[in-house]
Amino acid sequence: MVYAIIVYDVQADRTPKFLKYLRRYLTHVQNSVFEGELTEGTLVEVKETLQSMLEEEESVMVYRMDSGSYVERSVYGDDPMDDQQFL
Amino acid sequence: MNDNYHVFTDGRLERHNDTIRLVTEDGEKKYLPIENAEALFLHGQIDYNTRLVSFLNDVGVAIHVFGWNDYYAGSIMPERGQTSGQTLVEQVRAYDDSTRRRAIARQFIEGSIHNMRANVKYYDDRGYDFDAIIDRLEAQAESLSDEMDTNELMGVEATARKAYYSIFDDVLPDGFDFGGRQYNPPDNEVNSLISFGNSLVYANVVSAIRATALDPAVSFLHEPGERRYSLALDIADLFKPLLADRIIFRVVNRNQLQLDDFESDLNGCLLNENGRKTFSKAFEESLEQTVDHPRLNRKVSYQYLLRVEVYKLKKHLLTGEEYVPFKRWW
Repeated sequence: MVYAIIVYDVQADRTPKFLKYLRRYLTHVQNSVFEGELTEGTLVEVKETLQSMLEEEESVMVYRMDSGSYVERSVYGDDPMDDQQFL
Repeated sequence: MNDNYHVFTDGRLERHNDTIRLVTEDGEKKYLPIENAEALFLHGQIDYNTRLVSFLNDVGVAIHVFGWNDYYAGSIMPERGQTSGQTLVEQVRAYDDSTRRRAIARQFIEGSIHNMRANVKYYDDRGYDFDAIIDRLEAQAESLSDEMDTNELMGVEATARKAYYSIFDDVLPDGFDFGGRQYNPPDNEVNSLISFGNSLVYANVVSAIRATALDPAVSFLHEPGERRYSLALDIADLFKPLLADRIIFRVVNRNQLQLDDFESDLNGCLLNENGRKTFSKAFEESLEQTVDHPRLNRKVSYQYLLRVEVYKLKKHLLTGEEYVPFKRWW
């Protein structure tokens, strides 16, 4: 498993497309920002799909960490990752 | 590895944009990333429709329903991901051959007793004097033989488990009085925790079996048909000491669970919503915990150990390689 943060900057009317796609894999933590754990293979698949979804002057950034424990994560205010598995 | 989602809030679960969302009664929407999900555990009052069920079937995610009067109410299992006629035939053959069936059943008991002993030893090393109980467990383990049929094996297991349960009253603090195992329904807080813990182990084993071609209904120690997934009963017994009992000791001794996390009435004693949430969290943390696996030569999570167990059994059935049950080695 790897830990990924994915950030996208796309045309305003196209954000739902990215939002819908990424919700299947990761947690939506802020506008245009997703994070969470996935397998190496799934991440490759996600990267390729995102790349194919892009149009001119749009961009996606993927930060990949070997595991969640390599990230020092500080959150001020509400954390959408809290109790992600317990609803 | 694969995430279990526990839903405690009342509301509606629905398919939405190729993933799942929970709409709570006050209209709040929460999305569950489906691609990494292993199973959904529904504890609250939740509505869903056929569209959700067929979607979960497509993505291979199980639903385990936990009721309010009874902890484990049942599962909605996706269509089997793996099927193999050959595996099923071998599984049934082993069941039908009393020598082979007894040998496998005996391994389950040997593993269970070993893992109970590991818990007793843990507390024996931490200031309790459980020598007598360790002796009793060892005596039961030594009394096992290949000639025993499943009823006799069950008898050995029951005697061992009774000895094992006698440490609970010592290890748990005042107020948590056990006095012996009671279920249907559990009669006090400790029994209620054991029931809840065991049902979480059972549901996770059901999920693990589904990942292989083994048939969950054909079992060796328990009689097939005792429950819908009797093979899960066989395997769950091995893991109850590690996955359920240790969590019970931990959450109670650390005061994470208190007496007001339970509801008692004429129908016994059950955890309330808050208590179930606390316990489920501790349980999931434990599933994610890892240990060095000497044979696989890498770190594996406790959740993965369940898978490994099913793979080992399957290998034994197909190739005849000796089945060595899970025995806590650390």
